[in-house]
Amino acid sequence: MTLGEREQAAIRAVLDGLEREVDVRLELGPTATPVTLLAAGGREIDSNAVAQDLVEAVCALSDRVSLAVVEHDEPGPWPRTTIGPGLEYLGMPAGYELTTLVHGILEAGRDAPALGAASLERLAAIDEDVAIDVYVTPT
Amino acid sequence: MLLAYKLALASPRVTARGIEASEFAVDADRHGVHAVPAIVVDDSYAWAGTVPEAAFVERVLAARGS
Repeated sequence: MTLGEREQAAIRAVLDGLEREVDVRLELGPTATPVTLLAAGGREIDSNAVAQDLVEAVCALSDRVSLAVVEHDEPGPWPRTTIGPGLEYLGMPAGYELTTLVHGILEAGRDAPALGAASLERLAAIDEDVAIDVYVTPT
Repeated sequence: MLLAYKLALASPRVTARGIEASEFAVDADRHGVHAVPAIVVDDSYAWAGTVPEAAFVERVLAARGS
């Protein structure tokens, strides 16, 4: 099983806080810039398979989360998970990044943004598009 | 990572993307990523490390278009 019982219970408790339904889209396919990822013991990791296992396991823990899985033949930035209106995650949402997936779903499922008033005021003044990429690792 | 998502949810002008650095090592190298979390704004390396919400917002705004 991808997630243990304790993990499932913890994730279910977080997702119980969803205030509205959230769509999740998982895109799989050959990566445009292939790298070999090895697990402990030297076993090669299939990032598409791991991502699919994790995303499906998380999304199954709430009736308010819908998952669509799309498989691409063309190389691209896969696996790519898109949460709600466009929160993206490229790669396996494993380890610490499982929290990003779960809480990303929770944030997308809020009725109002979870930011302070000062931050919202600053963001309201933005008059050009801004793209934020955050590089992370699972450990 | 979650702060970036929160900004994107709060503003239609902001997009946010998490990228697993070892799987997308070519992109990480291109952006000069040596530590995580590393924040890239408008395709330019901005900073590494976690900061509080207010500082995150200010740093993103300062890095915009730089």
